[in-house]
Amino acid sequence: MIQVHNLVKRYGDLIALDHFDLTIHKGEIFGLLGPNGSGKTTAINCMLSLLKYSKGEVKLFGQPMGPNRYALKKRIGVVMQNVAVFNELTVIENINYFCGLYVPDKAKRKALVEEAIDFTGLGDYRKFLPKKLSGGLLRRLNIACGIAHKPELIFLDEPTVAVDPQSRNHILEGIRKLNQDGATVVYTSHYMEEVEQLCSRIMIMDKGKAVATGTKEELKAMIRTGEKLTVELHALPESILEEIRGIEGLVQVDYADNTLTMRYAAGGHHLSTVLDILRRHDISFGRVFSEPPTLNDVFLEITGTELKD
Amino acid sequence: MFRNIYWKRILRTLRDKATLFWTWIFPIIMATLFYVVFANLDVMGQLHEIPLGVIDTESYQQDISLHSALESVSDENGDTLFTVSLFGNTDEADIALENGDIDGYVLYDLMGDDPTLVVSDDGLNQTLAKRFLDGYLQIKNSVSIQATERLSSLLEEETYTKEISLSNNPPTEKVNYYYALLAMMCLYGGFQGLITVTYLQSNLSPLGARQAMAPVGRMRMVAYDLLGGLTMHFLCLLIAVAYIIFVLGTDFGSKLWLVLLTCFVGSVLGVAFGAMVSLTSKLKEAAKVALLITVTMVCCFLSGLMVGGVNYTVAEKAPVVAWLNPAARITDAFYCLYYYDTYERFFLNIGIILIMALAMLTVTALFVRRQRYDSI
Ligand SMILES: Nc1ncnc2c1ncn2[C@@H]1O[C@H](COP(=O)(O)OP(=O)(O)OP(=O)(O)O)[C@@H](O)[C@H]1O
Ligand SMILES: [Mg+2]
Repeated sequence: MIQVHNLVKRYGDLIALDHFDLTIHKGEIFGLLGPNGSGKTTAINCMLSLLKYSKGEVKLFGQPMGPNRYALKKRIGVVMQNVAVFNELTVIENINYFCGLYVPDKAKRKALVEEAIDFTGLGDYRKFLPKKLSGGLLRRLNIACGIAHKPELIFLDEPTVAVDPQSRNHILEGIRKLNQDGATVVYTSHYMEEVEQLCSRIMIMDKGKAVATGTKEELKAMIRTGEKLTVELHALPESILEEIRGIEGLVQVDYADNTLTMRYAAGGHHLSTVLDILRRHDISFGRVFSEPPTLNDVFLEITGTELKD
Repeated sequence: MFRNIYWKRILRTLRDKATLFWTWIFPIIMATLFYVVFANLDVMGQLHEIPLGVIDTESYQQDISLHSALESVSDENGDTLFTVSLFGNTDEADIALENGDIDGYVLYDLMGDDPTLVVSDDGLNQTLAKRFLDGYLQIKNSVSIQATERLSSLLEEETYTKEISLSNNPPTEKVNYYYALLAMMCLYGGFQGLITVTYLQSNLSPLGARQAMAPVGRMRMVAYDLLGGLTMHFLCLLIAVAYIIFVLGTDFGSKLWLVLLTCFVGSVLGVAFGAMVSLTSKLKEAAKVALLITVTMVCCFLSGLMVGGVNYTVAEKAPVVAWLNPAARITDAFYCLYYYDTYERFFLNIGIILIMALAMLTVTALFVRRQRYDSI
């Protein structure tokens, strides 16, 4: 569906995309995950031929993409990072206009517009001007304008920035539905939870490079750290802490603020071992959490910096 | 496709309150202001000629050119600027000035040099008399004394000698001010061009980027959208003309169709001008608006729309600038309707306007075809 090979994009001296490669298959929800400025938007804009690039090639639907490839453009839907709707047109007029650029037939278009309105839950706001919409509703309108014509390939660039959790879930749900209806989705975000929930395959980007690609399980398997265990304790003698540190397969053990945190090496399960030690020494403990590694851990380990901003 | 893009543009313009005010309401306010001012000017202009004194010395007697200049603006058939009274000496004149019998008097000093104007206070009449005398001296010093025949005709070309027209049946002078207003409005079509460009170029706005992804040729999109903008702009000129005719009661007579033609051609030029200026500069929208206003204002200034007479100076000192100034061409087309009975110069202007508009649209098209940018 998408093949990007050896793409290089410079803004002056800054290299925004550094020999970037990407392959996306039909039917995927592909997540581009990376901190601010890692080149996600630049990658999308280059794939869409909105930006010139110094080197590399982009193929969409197996054909080279270019600004005049209208046959390809017809099959693509784009939802940009910045909201792009006409302030003077109502919700329904906006959707109708953008849909009309793809679907000249009026009756057909009418049905599609209605479907998009349903889909984004904007039914009560048909006659609203964009400035009367809340941030979340505006984002939904932005999405509706990009997907009303039922594209086969959809690019969504951080569609959930500055959106409340309810709207966000609505949007994510919608994207899943689009995918079930057959669309291939390229989704960028710097919220890893979102990407983890939604995407079937993920690329982690940093400084214009792909640092890792795979399903979330594959990504997590790439790193040394496995689950993270947290135990609440009132007191922990140094000797016992040492004993716990001695357990084989624990990568990291810390005790601070009445909490004991430990990381296992990938694949390890040592909960019972730790709890046995505590019980043996009659140490009472409060809550116990066990968390699987997050994409943040993956990012942290690969790049040495936190993904969160 | 055409309907979708065109209609969207019409709707947007109709709902954009700021644009509506500046392009529809503001000109009507201006026209009304002119109307009110003229009502007063007409009364003044018709009832009061400027009482001017001249000290009757030997120098004056010998200055045949001033005689004839004064005569040319104080003729019997009604077009009178001055009523001239002669005084034997300055004392008499001073008394008359003090009593308000005259607004000023012309005095030759003892050396017999150029005459000077003595006034007691400032006002429109004093200014007119001063301008008359200055103009006279300027011309006198640059032409030989013998050319008095030419002198008076030169003087007539200056507009301060009240109403001078080469046509047989001149409408009232205020039509000229309405023409100036319409000419300025034409150029403000530039904003419509600016809007089209800003919202269709991917490097200028997110909306531009989104529309750049549509499977529609760029040229088509820009052309349809510009047409929508032009329609709305021409409509606002039509409304202004209708207002001037039906509400303010000025009749353009048989020239109405030519006035409308000029409005239309001028709008095309204005829209093309705005599109080109905003497309070729790499500025943010606010800066482009400022640039457009500045360029428009400079053009208007050079065409004499703000300070009368600048256009003559430009035409003399830099004829190329004058001919290529869009504002000057539109204004000139309108003035041709006013001053001439024949239409050669009028249609020459229209032709030049169309050629310029075409050239600007071509430049616009060349830039529109660039679709990928280094940075958006
Ligand atoms: N128009 C531009 N001119 C110069 N540099 C730019 C431009 N646009 C982006 N950059 C730089 O290119 C790099 C990649 O930017 P890009 O917008 O692609 O990142 P992103 O991953 O989309 O970030 P975000 O999460 O903030 O949207 C950044 O370092 C940014 O500063
Ligand atoms: Mg981005």
